[in-house]
Amino acid sequence: MKKKIILVFAIILFLAIVAWMFRDLFTGSPELQKNPYDYGMKELRQTDTVPAYKEVTPLKPALTTITSIATGYDGKIYVAGKGGVDILDISGRILKSFTFPGYATCLTVMPDNTLVIGMGDHVELWDPSGVQISAWQPEDTTSVITSVAASQHKIFVADAGNKIVYQYNELGKLQARIGEKDPSRKIPGFVIPSPYFDVGISPAGELWVANTGRYKLEKYDNDGSLLTSWGEASVTLEGFAGCCNPSHFTILSDGSFVTSEKGIERVKVYSPDGNFIALVARPESFDEGTRGLDLAAGSNGRILILDPLRNQVRVFLPLKKH
Amino acid sequence: MRRKQVILFFLIIGWLSPPAVMAIQRFPKPEFESGYVVPDAQLPLPRAELLAWLDVTVLLLTLSLATYLVLKRRSRMGVFLLSLFSLAYFGFYRQGCVCSIGAIQNVTMALFSGSYTVPLTVLFFFLIPLVFTLLFGRTFCAAVCPFGTFQDLVSFRPVRMGAWLNAFLGMIPYLYLGLAVLFAATTTEFIICRYDPFVGIFRLNASFGMFLFAGLLLVSGVFIARPYCRFLCPYGVLLNWMSQFSWKHMTITPAECIQCRLCENVCPYDAIDFPQTKKNPAGQRKQVNQLILLSLLLPLLVLGGVWTGGKMHLTLAGVNSRVRLARMIQATPVSKDQPEIPEITAFRSSGVQQQQLMTEVATIEDDFLTGSRIFGGFVGLVFGITLIRLIRTPYRTDYLPNRGTCFSCAKCMDYCPVLKDKTNN
Repeated sequence: MKKKIILVFAIILFLAIVAWMFRDLFTGSPELQKNPYDYGMKELRQTDTVPAYKEVTPLKPALTTITSIATGYDGKIYVAGKGGVDILDISGRILKSFTFPGYATCLTVMPDNTLVIGMGDHVELWDPSGVQISAWQPEDTTSVITSVAASQHKIFVADAGNKIVYQYNELGKLQARIGEKDPSRKIPGFVIPSPYFDVGISPAGELWVANTGRYKLEKYDNDGSLLTSWGEASVTLEGFAGCCNPSHFTILSDGSFVTSEKGIERVKVYSPDGNFIALVARPESFDEGTRGLDLAAGSNGRILILDPLRNQVRVFLPLKKH
Repeated sequence: MRRKQVILFFLIIGWLSPPAVMAIQRFPKPEFESGYVVPDAQLPLPRAELLAWLDVTVLLLTLSLATYLVLKRRSRMGVFLLSLFSLAYFGFYRQGCVCSIGAIQNVTMALFSGSYTVPLTVLFFFLIPLVFTLLFGRTFCAAVCPFGTFQDLVSFRPVRMGAWLNAFLGMIPYLYLGLAVLFAATTTEFIICRYDPFVGIFRLNASFGMFLFAGLLLVSGVFIARPYCRFLCPYGVLLNWMSQFSWKHMTITPAECIQCRLCENVCPYDAIDFPQTKKNPAGQRKQVNQLILLSLLLPLLVLGGVWTGGKMHLTLAGVNSRVRLARMIQATPVSKDQPEIPEITAFRSSGVQQQQLMTEVATIEDDFLTGSRIFGGFVGLVFGITLIRLIRTPYRTDYLPNRGTCFSCAKCMDYCPVLKDKTNN
């Protein structure tokens, strides 16, 4: 009896295998309809970590296409995009707008409130009242200007096309070429696979550059020597994922970093020495495929995230002081 | 022997470490600019000519040795050890390719497709075991085919099956062979390779589904000895045919059978024919009538198969990738909202006109109509002959290995108390 049961079990199992073969051969696996080359991000986007920030009412600029954001020393919020700049207060009220021909790709505000605007292939300086002060173009052709950062007398311009950071004075005179590949000085050069190449200046006046292809933030001194770096490739929260991240960053007043990523859209805070501290916004907070989450530090620990897909400035408040 | 089998089985399973099975690819690598030059992607190089001939030589040597061990030495242990070598060489070292089973498709395609030439070494892999089987029985199955060894290692509790069940399941390899030939002849697909259960284990690389397929087959193999060899292997059909006419087939007893019945239950493959001295257990007239009826039915079964095959030709043609593509294009409405199926995108970017594809598909479907009719007729013939064989009861006085289904594994020899030397004296 026992043998019969075993035999029946084995035969059913065997026939099931044969049936599966025939079914697979003639009906085709449902997997066939799936794109085998599909870059599935669904699982990677999931995280159990609870954000340490809560989102409040977003700000809505008047511009229809926004690309970059900065906060001024006067506490105002500057948003640039296609054909102009909007200046907002913290409540989202538009204080001033001005227009210009062309497409702003990046923006920063100097201590004297002069606006430095990257226009793709050149840089323009504007008075906050909407008067253009000057403009210049990098010597290198094929420039793709993706980020600008400025202190009182230094303007840093990140050129993703030529994978270099230019240092200009406020008159537009080239002072230094930073990060250019130079084996003699052990500078490996920037690896920038996509047009996301951000620069920032810390409260101590140090230049930081996002070397996205190496998943690192790198600090350079005035003569362009690499001083230090941090960051690692990882799909976990602690690292940076995708081909090239972080796409944007900003530096808070205490020297900690806020980074944003594309691919797995997420915004995080790191300590000044590069240790992961907190999650600001999880991937679910953004529409899938959102790129270009430019960042700015607002007052009272606010983090401002420019969401180009929703055309909003998203505002995140810390739940408690870290 | 069984204990050794158990140890070996667990050694092999332990070797297939879970990380290898469960491993997933790391997140796509970044494009570093570190001076490293990424080499061009290359297809695996074909095996060097000399090494391919070495494989043929090893096949010849192992077959010769297997035949010697079975027919001359009558050594089960020798056969077992040789089969382990074959598993290591043809299985894990050669990674199951080229194999005689799959070579059926290469030979078929070479016969039907003008643009394909079968390599001589592959042809030898197809022919040599057949020639050996025609001369000495299925010694290839006994100790050379790695599939057989693999299944033998897990056959812990084989259960005997009745003649009807054996006959019913035994028709599956004919179906498989027919389909394999049909799809290879129409340059559609090498289904024997697609559903090769063990190649993933040999290569330690397969989809989860294929590992599961192999695993379940091995689980069923614990109770049904060599399920693939007996009830799936298409090459086994050809070997069965050859072995029926083998010049010198192994025998259970080295001399005269003393009817001790010790071998009666030892064959795990139900390949021993029992003595049948009662000439006509079911009544001679009744049996003759049944045979006449079935003989008359046989042409009808063949014709029925031809008709059914013809009716099924569009279903069978659906396996062809060009036919499937054409049907997908016809069935998929052009919509900007939905992402296009990758196959259709690839076709549209190839620049080939849709009309050209449809003409090509019509030719393929015509080929399938002819092929499916032949396939259907073949299945009908096999079905009829199987019924006839079940009904007829040939006269036998001794326990004999069934020439068609016996794998010449020599397991039964160990149980035979008759000694050759003694009887000779």
